Amino acid sequence: MSSAMKLSLLIILSLLVFIISPFFGLSFISPETIFNPQESDYELFWRLRVPRAIAAFFAGAGLSMSGMVFQALFRNPLATPFTLGVSSGASFGASLYFFFGGATFAFLGGVGPLMASLLGAGLSMLLVWLITRVKGGFSTVIMLLAGVVINFFFSSLVLFVQYLSDAHDSLRIMHWLMGSLAGLETARLVDLAFVVLVGLVVIRLMAQEIDLLTAGEEIAASRGVNVQYTKLKIFLTASIMVGSVVSLAGPIGFVGLMVPHACRLILGWSHRILIPAVFFTGGTFLVLCDLVSRIILAPAEIPIGIVTSMLGGPFFLWTLFKSQKTGDLF
Amino acid sequence: MSDMIVVKDFSFSIGEKEILKHVEFSLPKGDYLSILGPNGAGKSTLLKCLLRLHEKGTSTGEISIAGKPIETYSQKELALLISYVPQAGGWIPPFTVTELLKLSRFPYSTSLSSLTTKDLEAVDRALELTGLKHMALRPLKTLSGGERQKAFLAAALAQGTPIMLLDEPASFLDPHHNSEMEKLLINLNKEEGLTMISVTHDLNHPFKTGGYALILRGGEKIFFGKVEGLLGNGVLEGAFNHQFVYLEHPASKRPVIIAE
Repeated sequence: MSSAMKLSLLIILSLLVFIISPFFGLSFISPETIFNPQESDYELFWRLRVPRAIAAFFAGAGLSMSGMVFQALFRNPLATPFTLGVSSGASFGASLYFFFGGATFAFLGGVGPLMASLLGAGLSMLLVWLITRVKGGFSTVIMLLAGVVINFFFSSLVLFVQYLSDAHDSLRIMHWLMGSLAGLETARLVDLAFVVLVGLVVIRLMAQEIDLLTAGEEIAASRGVNVQYTKLKIFLTASIMVGSVVSLAGPIGFVGLMVPHACRLILGWSHRILIPAVFFTGGTFLVLCDLVSRIILAPAEIPIGIVTSMLGGPFFLWTLFKSQKTGDLF
Repeated sequence: MSDMIVVKDFSFSIGEKEILKHVEFSLPKGDYLSILGPNGAGKSTLLKCLLRLHEKGTSTGEISIAGKPIETYSQKELALLISYVPQAGGWIPPFTVTELLKLSRFPYSTSLSSLTTKDLEAVDRALELTGLKHMALRPLKTLSGGERQKAFLAAALAQGTPIMLLDEPASFLDPHHNSEMEKLLINLNKEEGLTMISVTHDLNHPFKTGGYALILRGGEKIFFGKVEGLLGNGVLEGAFNHQFVYLEHPASKRPVIIAE
């Protein structure tokens, strides 16, 4: 089967899952009821489940695309929004926001956590970039090490903020750190969709540059890529996407690590094909995880981050062992 | 013939360390230059400066490519003039041979454009010239070292530039693949008219390719001229601080240099 056919199949399958998923949950919603405003399920379907599926889709797509470009950029399978410190920076920003409470930042309204997360992601990114610059150039190894250090640093700060918080805020931060898509506002959903879609377009326009960076920085530069500028642009785009997702849904793990690897095993490395594949697969994966999180202990809902890690861990190990045999993974 | 590459009083330092010191040479269009010198002489650095690959470091002096100072070119414009074959034994990109070659057409593309017929013809011709057509769809990781290095050469060729730079293209290859690679390089220089600069540790390489030789030691130029000038004047002995035996190849009659 050609790559284009595989991609088409993947997109059709993703759209099917996306369309079907809001019908399932604590209770099954009959398709006849969703066009009748008199039905009680009408509200449930359109006001809760559909927005949630959209949120899960864009959060998954954003995290997966970020992981994909980070791995290509650093030519390292462990490069993810987490290992580069971007997620923990965004988490720190959001924790601070929760700590100081809505009163201090009331003027920001609902966009407060988003801005705090983006600032946190921006701060961690700036620190990683500065450390890398001090050592000279834009060295991949230095940047990855800097990311790991910054990740630990901000994770500690999040714990510190949690320690200082009262019981209510501490619980709120803890729940948020596990990742959750519950109780989203429509306006935030639009923010997230906008950021991820812009990210998709920017990354797609750089597909060739990303391919060339995957081939190696010397190769990329000799083929006409402005390596420093391109790396910065990719890093910035991915970080903004991660910041947006984290602000909305918390630091959901494993998606950015697992989805890109799985897609590469199926479709290879050409980012023209890989970018749409990762966008749809990542989105669908989180939609499915959200569904599981809602029904596995129904009527209770478990944080989605727990589901992604529980599903993602074994699946990732399977792909890793499989790829070691075939040599497809880095 | 006009000079394709002119390097004038060029120095390059990283921090306090001066890696190239007042290097000067010029290479006519369509000629071959072998850069020789002991380890740490600055050979690869010079090659990277010609490609503007160095992100850190400061330089003085002048490098002109095709009559224009190198800094006046954008990275993409430079990629239309110079292609590059990296050292063997480095990172293996996760692509097939054809995918790698297609990436070389980047300087001719825009963000959303797909490959044109001209691009595909260039890829096809590069595969043919390097004899890689039968393994075009194979992943680079499954090729032997020699085949892979040929694929990198084919990728540089697919870029369709008048100048090609090579960083020890055959250093880690066995004698058979080494000889094949050299034949390819000579063919590209003589038949295709490419201006070529190759960094090499093989002292016999310049005598097979002809053209010019540049010897660096401690970042300084200690010899530049026609390869014949390397013989019988103690230049090599001075550069490498070593004694050499000079013989004549019984068939080709070209000089053969053996380290004592």
